[in-house]
Amino acid sequence: MTGFITRRVLGAIPLLLAVATLIFIVLDLAPGDPAAQYFNPNVPPEVYEQLRRNLGLDQPLGTRYGKWLGSFLTGDFGYSFAQNRPVANVVLDALPNTLLLAVVAIGAMFVVGVLVGVLQAVRQHGWADRILSVIGLFFYSMPSFWLALMLMLVFSLKAHQWGWPIAFPATGITSFDYEFLSPWGKFTDRLSHLVLPATTLTLVLAAGVARYTRGQMLEVIRQDYIRTARAKGLPERTVVLKHALRNSLIPVVTLVGLYLPLLFSGTVFVETIFSWPGMGRVIFDAISQRDAPVIMATSFVFATLVVMGNLLADVLYAVVDPRIRYD
Amino acid sequence: MEQRSPPSAASVLLCAALAALSAGCGDGAPESAGGTLVVGVRSDFSGFNAITNSSQYTDELIKYALFTPIVQYDESLGVRPWLAESWELDGDSAVVFTLRSDVRWHDGEPVDARDVAFTFERAKDPEAASLLAEAYLSQVARADVIDARTIRFAYERPHAQALENFWWAPMPEHRLADVSPAELRNADFNRAPVGSGPFRLAEWRANERVVLEAVEDFPEELGGRPSAERVVIRVIPEAATRLTELVTGGIHVDIDVAPDQTDQIEANPELELLSFPGRTVYFVAWNNLREPFTDARVRRALGYAINREEIIAALLEGHGAPAVSPIPPWSPLAPAVEPLPHDTAAADRLLEEAGWLDRDGDGVRESENGAPLRFTLLTSDRALNRAVVEVVQSHLRRVGADARLQVTEFQTMLAQFRSREYDAAFANWVLDNFQVGTAPFALFHSSQAEIAGSANRTSYGTPAADSLLEAGRAAVTPDDAAVFWADFVRLLKEDQPATFMFWLDELAGKRAGVTGVDMDPRGEFRGLADWAPR
Repeated sequence: MTGFITRRVLGAIPLLLAVATLIFIVLDLAPGDPAAQYFNPNVPPEVYEQLRRNLGLDQPLGTRYGKWLGSFLTGDFGYSFAQNRPVANVVLDALPNTLLLAVVAIGAMFVVGVLVGVLQAVRQHGWADRILSVIGLFFYSMPSFWLALMLMLVFSLKAHQWGWPIAFPATGITSFDYEFLSPWGKFTDRLSHLVLPATTLTLVLAAGVARYTRGQMLEVIRQDYIRTARAKGLPERTVVLKHALRNSLIPVVTLVGLYLPLLFSGTVFVETIFSWPGMGRVIFDAISQRDAPVIMATSFVFATLVVMGNLLADVLYAVVDPRIRYD
Repeated sequence: MEQRSPPSAASVLLCAALAALSAGCGDGAPESAGGTLVVGVRSDFSGFNAITNSSQYTDELIKYALFTPIVQYDESLGVRPWLAESWELDGDSAVVFTLRSDVRWHDGEPVDARDVAFTFERAKDPEAASLLAEAYLSQVARADVIDARTIRFAYERPHAQALENFWWAPMPEHRLADVSPAELRNADFNRAPVGSGPFRLAEWRANERVVLEAVEDFPEELGGRPSAERVVIRVIPEAATRLTELVTGGIHVDIDVAPDQTDQIEANPELELLSFPGRTVYFVAWNNLREPFTDARVRRALGYAINREEIIAALLEGHGAPAVSPIPPWSPLAPAVEPLPHDTAAADRLLEEAGWLDRDGDGVRESENGAPLRFTLLTSDRALNRAVVEVVQSHLRRVGADARLQVTEFQTMLAQFRSREYDAAFANWVLDNFQVGTAPFALFHSSQAEIAGSANRTSYGTPAADSLLEAGRAAVTPDDAAVFWADFVRLLKEDQPATFMFWLDELAGKRAGVTGVDMDPRGEFRGLADWAPR
């Protein structure tokens, strides 16, 4: 196992470098100019040129790539063109917020998805199955930005206007008076800010998990050992939860790896709509400002997370399924 | 196969937990939080350094909250003393400022003439790529410190509105002296500045919020201690989300309301809409080097064809004023020249005169050699721009001109516009300062037309326009200058190198309980020190 992980990690290095190089070249081909992020058209050409020199943009692609690679490999991500501060700080400020959102969303997505999937499989072709299928398909088909706006409309704006007992904050990760809250107040404050963005991400992805779980459960439930379990008189609850579910979960675990890229692209919209100061926002702003150092660093971080997620899925696979061995 | 529903105790618990969550912040907590005022803005700020900054809201916080500029504007846009308590003009060639003795940096050091001179020198250094130098100091040649409270600035040449060259805030020399000019943009100072204004920067979390704290001992004559103890400026990029926060009480003031949101604000008794003349003018630039826009008659005809009033009424919900030039209607020097009226008959006449007739009856005019009156109209993908070009296209169609729309992402549009690779473009210009000559000169002087990437993207430039622009900038008294500017605007109206469309009113919303909020062309944050939550 250790050998397998080492091989995979080492194998990921050239992959990540290739990804970074590709992004560097594509960025260079894109129209626009980081110096033009000074929306202000009043900036005269001399100042503009000086700015480009200060940013090192006047040099040819090869030179810039060499410089970037050199400092990148030594852990220096450079300065953000747009925010005028070290890229490492930009990433370190935003990454924990995104990870919090992603971890909560992944957790909720699996819990909700598996529960719904099991319920549907157990009640195959029943009313519950059909209604949940329609609801699941609905959320699966909805773009996350639309869902985000609808949730906000109902559970923040209208909930407030209609005086519902529960209304969630529409934006941010904490309230403006967070520092003055009690520890319990801080906790609920953070949690309440998580509800809408995490729900958006969860709903879209949980529908897929539910579908997958349902299919797996239906397959497993027809196996001989399930019939044996029932035949020896085990209660239905034990049969479903202990024998069937555990065996159906094995392939579902691999979905972690597959869903990570989806989750990260989802955060770009969700973070922008809910003003969640995470990596999605950073990468969105950086692209519209052509802030190359930040785009490079954030896409590298995302790529690394995806590679790690896939590795984790493979390892988990071996953990839950004793038949699988990596040597 | 009976499946049991989840125990009801769990659902009770869930409800209780949700209720606890929402109580934490769902019900308009800001109202009860004493002296804290919460403001929502669209995008994050850039570094708080007057020398390197080039973004508008950051500039406003520098001038109105964190630092103290040398002079300030009053409501009629006259210059009034600020950090400088008085000044003396040395003929037309220099000005001597006497600084206040009671303005201090937030670390306790006094703000003195050396700081002013330091800021001037750094801005003038080409390595710093300073917009401050371009916007304010191009006519200022030299700074001489006479003593700690006295500084003399010598001008390059006599010019109008000379005191307005000093609407900028000095930066602290003792904090920035060690930073090289090229590194100023990345200085750590910019994100944790030591200021000199009525507020100090308490916290800045990128893309999330900026927190300002009142400075207790800010001089009384400059407004004294601000009304709010604490101002939290939250970054909320989506307009719909910002409005939701305003409605639910998550913010007290929403800077930058979209025209289509005004009805919602006006219909809500808890909210008030603020609408005031802005500093942004929208125009259609005609590429004067390309057919058919080489002919002034064609440009003027298209100017007649566009119905500005309809666009202002329909797309801006009335929140705009027709434009005739880049000199704002609220400027003390604004000439009384009416914009080109909407007159399709005049447009038809001019186009026929210029040889553009619909020869094959397809609704689009052709020139003598059969080339159709067809061109692309470029703009960026902002909702307003997109809507305006669609309406303009239909207006032009009525006089037989076929505009093909090209709507691209902002950076792509700007790259094309800058390199003058376009036929016609719908764009906007934001005034950095209130010196009347800056924008017309940059946009329409022939010397600028020759510079690659300059703001004169129509490549317009005639001897008549040049001499009026130069005379306007050189006139020393406002009355003299006004005569030249009036002539220039009349020429611009005749020549139509670009068709000026409208000045967009700035829109903001606030909760009814917030007092002291008063915005005008000087900027959204102009009166920040007077804003108070109730």
